[in-house]
Amino acid sequence: MKNNILIIGGGPAGLEASAQLQRMGYNVILIEKAPKLGGHLAKWDRLFPDSVPADEVLGGLLRSAEGVKCFTDTDVRAINRLDKSYNVRLTNGITVLSDAVLVASGFDLFDAVKKEEYGYGIYDQVMTNADLEAYFKTGSDKRIENPGRIGFAHCVGSRDEKSGCRSCSKVCCATAVKQAIEIKQAFPKAEVYCFYMDLRLFGRHYEDIYLKAQKEYGVRFIRGRLAEVSENYDGTLQVKAEDTVAGKPLKVTLDLLVLMSGMRPSASGKAIGDLLEMTVEEDGYFAVRSGIAAGQRSPIPGIFLAGAATGPKTLPETLADARAAAMEIDRYLTEIFPDAKNYKQLVRERW
Amino acid sequence: MTPLFHLLAVQAADPEVIDRIPSGYSHFVIPFTIGITFMLCWIGVGCIRLLAAIPQSDRLKFWKSLFLPKTIIKNLKDLFGDCLLHVKIWQRKPLLGYMHSAIAFGWFMLIVLGHIEVALFVPARLNVTRGGLFYPIFYRYFVWMNPGHTTLRGSFFFFLMDFFLLYVLSGIALAMFKRFRSIVLGMRHTTKPSLADRVALYSLWMIFPLRLLAESFTADLSGGSFLTVGVNHFWHLLFGDKLWFTPCWWAYSICLGLFFAAMPFSRYMHILTEVLWILLRNAGIQPHHPRKGVAEAEIYACSSCGLCLDACPMNVQKKNLKYSSVYFIRFLRRHNEKKINAIADKCLMCDKCHALCPVGVDAPALRRAQRATVNNSLPYDYSYLPSACAGQLSEQKVLYFAGCMTHLTPRIIKAVDRVFKAAGVEYAFADRDGGICCGRPLMLAGKTEAASKVIEANKKLIVESGCDTLVLSCPICYKIFKDEYHLEGIKVVHYTQFINDLIASGKLKVEKIDEKIVYHDPCELGRGCGVYYEPRAALGQAGTLVKASKEYDESVCCGGSLGSLTLDTRDRARISESSLEILLAEDPETIVTACPLCLKTFSEAVSNSRLPRKNVAVKDFAEVFCR
Amino acid sequence: MVDFGFGLVPSSRINLDLFDKDKYEELAAVEPDVRICMACGSCTAVCTAGKFSTTSLREAIEDIKNAQPAKAVEMLQACQLCGKCSMVCPRGINTRHLILSITKTYSTK
Repeated sequence: MKNNILIIGGGPAGLEASAQLQRMGYNVILIEKAPKLGGHLAKWDRLFPDSVPADEVLGGLLRSAEGVKCFTDTDVRAINRLDKSYNVRLTNGITVLSDAVLVASGFDLFDAVKKEEYGYGIYDQVMTNADLEAYFKTGSDKRIENPGRIGFAHCVGSRDEKSGCRSCSKVCCATAVKQAIEIKQAFPKAEVYCFYMDLRLFGRHYEDIYLKAQKEYGVRFIRGRLAEVSENYDGTLQVKAEDTVAGKPLKVTLDLLVLMSGMRPSASGKAIGDLLEMTVEEDGYFAVRSGIAAGQRSPIPGIFLAGAATGPKTLPETLADARAAAMEIDRYLTEIFPDAKNYKQLVRERW
Repeated sequence: MTPLFHLLAVQAADPEVIDRIPSGYSHFVIPFTIGITFMLCWIGVGCIRLLAAIPQSDRLKFWKSLFLPKTIIKNLKDLFGDCLLHVKIWQRKPLLGYMHSAIAFGWFMLIVLGHIEVALFVPARLNVTRGGLFYPIFYRYFVWMNPGHTTLRGSFFFFLMDFFLLYVLSGIALAMFKRFRSIVLGMRHTTKPSLADRVALYSLWMIFPLRLLAESFTADLSGGSFLTVGVNHFWHLLFGDKLWFTPCWWAYSICLGLFFAAMPFSRYMHILTEVLWILLRNAGIQPHHPRKGVAEAEIYACSSCGLCLDACPMNVQKKNLKYSSVYFIRFLRRHNEKKINAIADKCLMCDKCHALCPVGVDAPALRRAQRATVNNSLPYDYSYLPSACAGQLSEQKVLYFAGCMTHLTPRIIKAVDRVFKAAGVEYAFADRDGGICCGRPLMLAGKTEAASKVIEANKKLIVESGCDTLVLSCPICYKIFKDEYHLEGIKVVHYTQFINDLIASGKLKVEKIDEKIVYHDPCELGRGCGVYYEPRAALGQAGTLVKASKEYDESVCCGGSLGSLTLDTRDRARISESSLEILLAEDPETIVTACPLCLKTFSEAVSNSRLPRKNVAVKDFAEVFCR
Repeated sequence: MVDFGFGLVPSSRINLDLFDKDKYEELAAVEPDVRICMACGSCTAVCTAGKFSTTSLREAIEDIKNAQPAKAVEMLQACQLCGKCSMVCPRGINTRHLILSITKTYSTK
């Protein structure tokens, strides 16, 4: 008999895990609350560090997940834990009896409106990283009209107690460098400034794009957090920061300011977590059984986690996490789940 | 039957009252006499010391004020209203008000009526050398009513005395009840009494029951009315003719003595110091030091009633109760320097304890004065200030000053601009590129001298600009511009007032939409400057104004106040959360405030807090008028 | 040992050996937030006084940790305590109290 596995979230993590579990012979049901699969990846243009088109990566993920039972526009209405399995009622009326549940609810982008002093939604010439990706994808945005000076503000809604998020979002530094290069490619004459607190470019080839941005594109990196933005009469922006390396306050006039919105725990993921009574840590992301040894197991037997539901991750990390989750699910469903007699004891020992 | 006029006769043929104890003295009066003498000496010396400590000019002002008809009327009004009847407590918490006025006014009437009785029937005894200090208090012990010669006048006094005794007893009963279940009287928290407080408190509780006991035992001899005579009959029924009244009078006197002896060290000193404080306050004398001079009268006028405990926004957390004004004042009295500073620095300066204080003790001002003793002498260097030079206004006569904070909430600046443009107001933006701080934050931190320097610099710029109206959107700025800048010939208005005027004069058209709005009173604007009406009047034109569970002068600080020097972010977040709950009482769609700090604090609180409602919008006042 | 005289020229190098730990702990006891600055410079960027005069809370904190408290006290004298820095600090440092505490702890006057 094939076990049913419910995967919540049709982003990269959910897609990758479904593909793997389907290959292993399980009966996978994937649900996604949006009308289309792909999550944030579907909205992105190119990916760091190699500028691979996002569509290409997403296409690959979708192809390998072909054949998975998939419901879009669908959310979870109710979840009951039976003896070992979960009885999940979906918003489309279908009820699934699932032996394991994988929560891959991902992240929300920080709502930049909340960082009031940057004036997103108030000043015309302020946009977010997501808006810029949309521009790269569609080629149109009324804010971008041959900008002469462009600023990137790192850490918007990350590493900021005032926004209620202490943690680093991990991907924004590399994204900013990538986008800085791309906007220079689009507008070679533009001056580009990146305002950062620390450049956290930890991954393979990340340093290379940093170097490229400096050497080939002349992007100016300023070590100081952007702190105040005001609007001039002509609609241009005056931004203030401290160049902490020079030890001097600094101001510069910009035609465009791009805010690197960070990752926040997904709101719809939180709702599902509430239904399952899953533990959430102080940072808002789901708690795992053990951060090092069991990063894909939730504290509740039979509930697994993958991707940004357990904290900010890069795309390769998310995909690796999803594969690991698939392995963990397989181990659970072959070693622990079938042993009806000793189930409880096995859970105690091995979960 | 005796004709009625005979009863009313002022001079009865036979004396109505006969000395039961011709010497007019008994040993039991000793405890009381010692207690009250001690207390009177203490307060006498205190008064002299205090008046000597205040500056000559203030002293002169004080004596003069006692003879000015205007202050005399105000003094009488305040003394009756605040000291005896406790009108301010009645208004907010009727049961608590009844309790306080029962004890204060009731006791006052007992003392006054007792003296009138003595004056009427045995006037010689009022003389201090013949026991005037204690005789009127223990009058009933010393006299014997001549049976058959009581007049209506006498019975009237008997009745009044019993009536007020019953009145006081009802207050005492409530007070005892309050110790155990304060919430019934509308108080969530009550003050922790000190040792002297306890001594005074328990003796106060005992005084009136013992008085009833003592007077009821003697009621068949010295007269009485419905209460004392009634109880007297009961004793006769119980004990027959064997009545031990001397022990009761002893106990009564001991309790009184204990009470008065403990009084200077307890909260009950306020009974007398309050009078002095009201006189000084109404004379318009300001404290210059947190403990010396006028402040001394002020801190001793605190009755430790604890109404400031529930008022204080910090007290959403029990651990912060110790920073309340009542304890600040207690430690000021005890000269506990370390604790005084810690408490002074913690306060948010929202002024709510001052607004709700039944005796009008301005604790925030004392805290500021305390901060000044430490911070005013810290070095500062504003030599760069004169280098800033003024711009001249040509056409515009309206100057808008956004202030430091507002530059971090650009939506206020943007909305003000839109509203002004829509109403055709030509204005100049004084600090578009940033300005000089208004000085209020320095003032709040106790750096008064430094504050005067920035005030001076700002004032120069504004006066030289040639504007005739100065509009401020930040209540912190508004407060100090209004109170300390003395800008002659320039109208200083808050933008809530300015926009309300624009609407009233028809210059600004407002469309009313179906939106439930709750208005948050910023501390500095509401309690600080008394601006409650204008923002509400204007908002009422734009949407449906709903109530917060606490508003106007009871509005609760958002938690973001600049006033506190030491309150940490977590504690502030707790305050914001409770303040939000108060605003959301009637389920509004929008919270409107008129202060950059409140705006930022609430915006952050709505998205960060764990409250279930996250869809409520937080808007600045001006934003409502440029939809 | 022969002294070549180079040692007589005062060094401009930060000398952490001169760091007064006791004094620093005294400050940290009054305002523990001094420990948590991550030197982002937001405070300096928004500083009202910084428009007219060289002043930086970030640098002052740095100076104290680098055994140069006199520089810190000197620099903070321009502060108007307006509180803008406390609104932007990503670590939620109680900047106004920190400034007062630094001055109180290290001021020689």
